[in-house]
Amino acid sequence: MFNYQFIQMALVGGSLAAIVSAWIGLFLILRKESMLVDGVAHTAFGGVAIGLLLGFDPMLGAMAVSAAAVLGITYMRRKGLAQSDSAIAVMMAMGFSMGMIIISLANGFNVDLMSYLFGSILTVNRTDVTVLAVLGLFIIGFMVFFYKEMLAITFDEDGARLQGIPVQVMTLAFNLLVAITIALSIKVIGIILVVALMVLPGLTALQLRRSFKATLIASTLFGVMAATLGIVLSVLFSVSTSGVIVFTAAGIFLFVAAYQRLA
Amino acid sequence: MEPIIEVEGLTVKRGPTEALSNASFMIERGDYVGVVGPNGGGKTTLVLALLGLLPRESGSIRIMGQDIDTFDQWEKVGYVSQFAIDFDAQFPLTVRELVGLGRVNRKNMGRFRNKEDWSAVSDALELMNISDLANKRIGALSGGQRQRAFVAKSLVSDPQLLVLDEPVTGFDPVTQERFFMQLANLNNKKGLTILIISHDLAAVFCRMSRVLCVNKEVHSAAITETTVPDEILKKGYGEHFHFAFHRHHCQGVFVDERL
Repeated sequence: MFNYQFIQMALVGGSLAAIVSAWIGLFLILRKESMLVDGVAHTAFGGVAIGLLLGFDPMLGAMAVSAAAVLGITYMRRKGLAQSDSAIAVMMAMGFSMGMIIISLANGFNVDLMSYLFGSILTVNRTDVTVLAVLGLFIIGFMVFFYKEMLAITFDEDGARLQGIPVQVMTLAFNLLVAITIALSIKVIGIILVVALMVLPGLTALQLRRSFKATLIASTLFGVMAATLGIVLSVLFSVSTSGVIVFTAAGIFLFVAAYQRLA
Repeated sequence: MEPIIEVEGLTVKRGPTEALSNASFMIERGDYVGVVGPNGGGKTTLVLALLGLLPRESGSIRIMGQDIDTFDQWEKVGYVSQFAIDFDAQFPLTVRELVGLGRVNRKNMGRFRNKEDWSAVSDALELMNISDLANKRIGALSGGQRQRAFVAKSLVSDPQLLVLDEPVTGFDPVTQERFFMQLANLNNKKGLTILIISHDLAAVFCRMSRVLCVNKEVHSAAITETTVPDEILKKGYGEHFHFAFHRHHCQGVFVDERL
């Protein structure tokens, strides 16, 4: 099975997306912003539809619309236009409905669109993996470089501000990375389930009750484990890859949570 | 003595109402200052304004001789907010990691912490007598241990001014006394200027060198052998207020030889 190039590409691409998602996801969980992922991912649907309509890479469309959605949500919260959950709901509805309008105008994109909604990791090619690797390295590089600042902001925003850290700029940069991560993960797991890839590994790692550094490493390992195991199992049993990845991640979460409570 | 905080005609609004009105006072280097006053009187507002976290309506604030609008030496100011009690106990952070966050500031952004940083972390842990808790998660600490961990975080950048907002809320008398004694040690041995919001009037008049009584207005007084607390406190708490305090009460406080 591992001799097939499409499997190799899927395993590499899935692992890269899982690593980036787990890193960003842990910070989002601790910032209590997990649902931001779901909202922005659904908004990205509009971007995918624009890409398909105008004939450019739908991932670029997803990335641009995700970034706009993150900025919009941040703006609405800061200006007091809406609470966090309401701002996410508004953006999600706008992005998704934009996608629906475009689809109806173009008389549907059928199969193409479905692959973005539910993921198509088994169809990733060398170019996709290269894009994942470059953007993934950029995101991880940023998070490593500004590790202590991001941790300080995530733990205590006011305290970080007092220490002279430019909280607003750092938060904006982080939110843009969230948008890029979501767009990258859509190819692997699809718009509907991207939230699982970003939240479940971190949530599992938090069950271990370790230091932040250990939790971050564990989160990454759980993410890669879920992605690779999910891909292998889905090929073996010929079932939906994104579905199996999420079920594997959920299974690991349940096992670790139960073990921690019973041990 | 050299002034470390100079406030002149400070007025701060919280929403449409004035929380502080035309406050003027000075705190000198090495002072151990208790900030007292009734609930809603503006104590936290005063502290947040001094830290530049709240905008001023009018007036001026100078920290270490520098106007607060241009003050850029925040690593010399340690702050322990009420967050030290309220933080998310599930947050995966050890005491060492928490204290290490005290070495993060604008000047070292994007730089990995070095041996010197982690050595300062070990020193701060030792200073607050919590070296044995270094690898424990902060969510698993008791109230007193948490406060000491947060004070260690604020001390790790070797500040000249330490500001604490109601740090002993919910403490039993023994833990509270230990905590105040550790602060007194820092004040005596390191010459650290300390500003602490507290409702424990006896601790303020027994241990500290200056009191700021805040109730929209700020009344400042040095605490000496001859200070009559009632005269100061009535200005903040009202004429009906009487604080039965005698200096010999200070002799009866808990003392632990191990400290």
